Amino acid sequence: MKNLPPFFYKYKIPLVLGALMLFVISLSVFIFSRQSLRLDEAQSLWQTSRSPLKMFNIIAQDVHVPFYHLMLHFWQVFLGNGVATARALSMIFFIAAIPAMYFLGKLAYNKNAGLYAALLLSVSPFMNWYGNEIRMYSLFTLVVILHQYCFIKLYKTTDPARRRSWWWAYGIVSLFGIFTHYFFLFSIVSQGLFYLFNRDLFQPGDFKKFLGIIVLLMIAFSPWIYYVLKLGSISNSSPLLEAPTSVNIFNTFSQFLFGFQIDYVNTILVSLWPLLVLFGFFGLQKNKKPSSDTLYFLTALIVPMALAFIVSIAFRPLYLSRYLILSLPPLYMVIIGFFANLPPTIKKVFQILLVVLMAATLFIEAFSALTPVKEDYKAATDYLMANAKADDAIVVSAPFTIYPVEYYYHGSSVLSTLPIWDRASYGPIPPFDSATLPQQIATISQNHQNLWLLLSYDQGYQETLRLYFDTHYQRLTVMHFSPGLDLYEYKIRY
Amino acid sequence: MPALNPTKKDQKRFLSSVTPKGLVLLNIVLLFAYFILLAFFFPTGNRILFALLIAGEVFHVWQLLTFLYTIWDTRTPVPQDAAFRAPVDVYITVAGEPAELVEETLQAAQAMDYPDFTIYLLNDGYVAKRDNWQDIEALGKRYGVHVITRQVGGGAKAGNINHALAQTGSPFVAIFDADHVPHADFLLKTIPYFSDQKVAFVQSPQYYKNYAVNEITRGAWEQQELFFGPICRGKNRLNAATMCGTNMVIRRDALQSVGGMCEESIAEDFATGMFLHQKGYRSIYVAEVLAEGLAPEDFLSYYKQQFRWARGALDVIFKYHVLFRKGLTLPQRIQYLASASFYLSGLVVIMNALIPLVFFFTGAVPIVVATMLLALIFLPYIFVTLYTLRGSSNFSYTFRSLAFSMSSFSIHLAALWSVMTGTKPAFEVTSKTKLSGNFLHLVWIHIAYVALVAIGLTVAISREGVSASIMANAAWAILNGVIFLQFIRLAAPERIDAQKPVAVTV
Repeated sequence: MKNLPPFFYKYKIPLVLGALMLFVISLSVFIFSRQSLRLDEAQSLWQTSRSPLKMFNIIAQDVHVPFYHLMLHFWQVFLGNGVATARALSMIFFIAAIPAMYFLGKLAYNKNAGLYAALLLSVSPFMNWYGNEIRMYSLFTLVVILHQYCFIKLYKTTDPARRRSWWWAYGIVSLFGIFTHYFFLFSIVSQGLFYLFNRDLFQPGDFKKFLGIIVLLMIAFSPWIYYVLKLGSISNSSPLLEAPTSVNIFNTFSQFLFGFQIDYVNTILVSLWPLLVLFGFFGLQKNKKPSSDTLYFLTALIVPMALAFIVSIAFRPLYLSRYLILSLPPLYMVIIGFFANLPPTIKKVFQILLVVLMAATLFIEAFSALTPVKEDYKAATDYLMANAKADDAIVVSAPFTIYPVEYYYHGSSVLSTLPIWDRASYGPIPPFDSATLPQQIATISQNHQNLWLLLSYDQGYQETLRLYFDTHYQRLTVMHFSPGLDLYEYKIRY
Repeated sequence: MPALNPTKKDQKRFLSSVTPKGLVLLNIVLLFAYFILLAFFFPTGNRILFALLIAGEVFHVWQLLTFLYTIWDTRTPVPQDAAFRAPVDVYITVAGEPAELVEETLQAAQAMDYPDFTIYLLNDGYVAKRDNWQDIEALGKRYGVHVITRQVGGGAKAGNINHALAQTGSPFVAIFDADHVPHADFLLKTIPYFSDQKVAFVQSPQYYKNYAVNEITRGAWEQQELFFGPICRGKNRLNAATMCGTNMVIRRDALQSVGGMCEESIAEDFATGMFLHQKGYRSIYVAEVLAEGLAPEDFLSYYKQQFRWARGALDVIFKYHVLFRKGLTLPQRIQYLASASFYLSGLVVIMNALIPLVFFFTGAVPIVVATMLLALIFLPYIFVTLYTLRGSSNFSYTFRSLAFSMSSFSIHLAALWSVMTGTKPAFEVTSKTKLSGNFLHLVWIHIAYVALVAIGLTVAISREGVSASIMANAAWAILNGVIFLQFIRLAAPERIDAQKPVAVTV
């Protein structure tokens, strides 16, 4: 480091940030972009291929808000359709989040902490996954980072004119935030709670401004809520989630740090939780009080998780790690705040160890065929295009997995779903009914020689379905493409 | 490594803490949530292990609740008459310490700003068979102060003080160990509290000015900070200040009413304080550094000091039955039991440390529960507890302090054994100079633990592969091992970072 040319020191920060951005772009271009379209991505493409009004109608019946979809719609209008193009939008948000993370770290701690925060975000397996997915999560992360930056500025800035500007910025980012993801509300709740317990950090009159912004946000958001309630079908959205357990909470932490690993590795990682107690002990350093910013990040980390968990248990399951991506930047910031109080040698060891572990798990996630979230619909449909004949039937289940299959499949066989789902008709996907299963299969298999059954996203009846086919028809082929994605070929007629 | 020359402000932080009451309440809720779920709702595994685990957790509940109760309010104002003055006898207890060290204390005592006091050097060097006992007599002569040299031993330090009591007559007695150098305002800051006739003794912190010399002095002091910070300040509220034997002033009448300093216990100060409380006297803790002493600078001295304190405190539990002593108020009984029972924590530390080892070798577990569920209830509880400790001590509580307390389990066990078997320990003054050598024999149990963890882990992995249970138990064992390694490191020869000693004046 000492022998680097002088311009490096002059431009150290932009150079490092540039290198980190180049790193995630390279990973995207050479690894992630080559992965198959996944179910959620196919849904995004399908939804945004409609006119804006129709798109609003579809999204309002889903579990999301329309800002990202609107952007993706126009992005595709101007730049064209295609998986790579659509993924590029998410990548842009991810790339923008890297310097944003730096500035957040710099604001809360110092420049080096900012750089380390940017480094963590860049090597984060979780962020790299969603930075390459045609969903709103990288945008959500960027908005949350900006939102937290504005919030911290609110209590760190004393100049009235500048504070006014930050209040405006805070309000505008909040507006984007609530139309990016419903869970953004948890970020506002966290900040409200932090304010309540740390009023002395703020200026007199801030409470009124905070309330005023909330009221304005409610007014801006109410037409959407009215529209969603009017349609009244949000509760029918699929796939259905299960009520979370303590395992989900620890998996969230594990995924935020080490991405999506096979169950065995993930279990080993989370089983090491007693070491957190040891880290807590290490944090007992003389006269080192956690800063207000660290306490804020801790609030922003815990409150959304706790709320999502409580709501999931009490009302309706909605706990998903990716929905909680708003807690990822605060998690990294809390870790940085914790490191800041350690003796320098231990701090350096922990910093390096964490980056090495995250980078290693990033590469495992990217390269391993066993990565549990990989959905290789492309390979499955390539296989079908090569092997399914015109008089064969292709059946996918769960029904909503028709989206990615439909995207890739350009063969001559008929595509159907089980249970049979008429997407043109209004209402939810019909539930599985074993009593009508023979009749549905008979309808689908009419006039076909062979039937290809593509099973993924088990909704609780996959095994029943497979057993039915196994016991009633001759199985010819079994193919496994990615975790939870299997193809079976059956002889229907001789 | 912490700065070797801490600022005055940093050194006084422990004295100006405010108890975060919201956090205390949250801590209590999480404590009970954890304990109740653990004790009553999780399926049990091996019954013996479960019983041991629950016994340990009951002890933790007791420790934490009494701690939280003590620190609930640490800012109780204590009435005093600033104009109150009375004659004072100043005792400097000596039992073979170097004359130069005593001289410093003597000079400071002479420089005290107070109208009426007489200094006495209580020289026990002769009865302690120290070669330098005559040096103290010569020192006294040089400075023109009285030297009381005992010819007949007995009663250790308490005997020395009682012997002097019979030969002196002022209504108040200030006591300093030979190495505890009083500030000029010591008497001005303590005597006014005696305007209340019910006040029997006034105690000030036992501060170590050589705090920054090495890891052992730092550890020894940082352990003291929690005690002399929020705990002692909280005890003030409950009229249960602990008498510490130095840096204090006692009312002669009160002391004589309980027969002088208690000679039967190795913790003569602790027991004497309790007897005074029994008689209905008040005690005061002054949360201000008014004298500066020396911490043990080597592992052996630290070990001996801790053993003596543990032995004395456990003596109080088993010999004096504090819960049932007449005259003590309920808060006082609780406080005495809480302070003394700290030294039983060694039992719990070793019990908890053995649980992963037993699992490695036998596969037996105390509870059969998803490790994540346990984490979900344990982690919030432990982190809030740690933060309460930090907050209540004004962020002076450290990892080193925790590691010293936990690693001292072997000392606590040795003290417990000594009490149970009735072995009479010799009273030994803590060395004021650094002893060098190999003290690894004092930490053989810590070394054995680390070795057994390595072997046990191998056994367990060969039995069932790398499973979640093994990783969780390995993590617990690593936690214990890392903490015990602090002690092993300090007991090893030439491992003390012997920088040039830096005296820090507060």
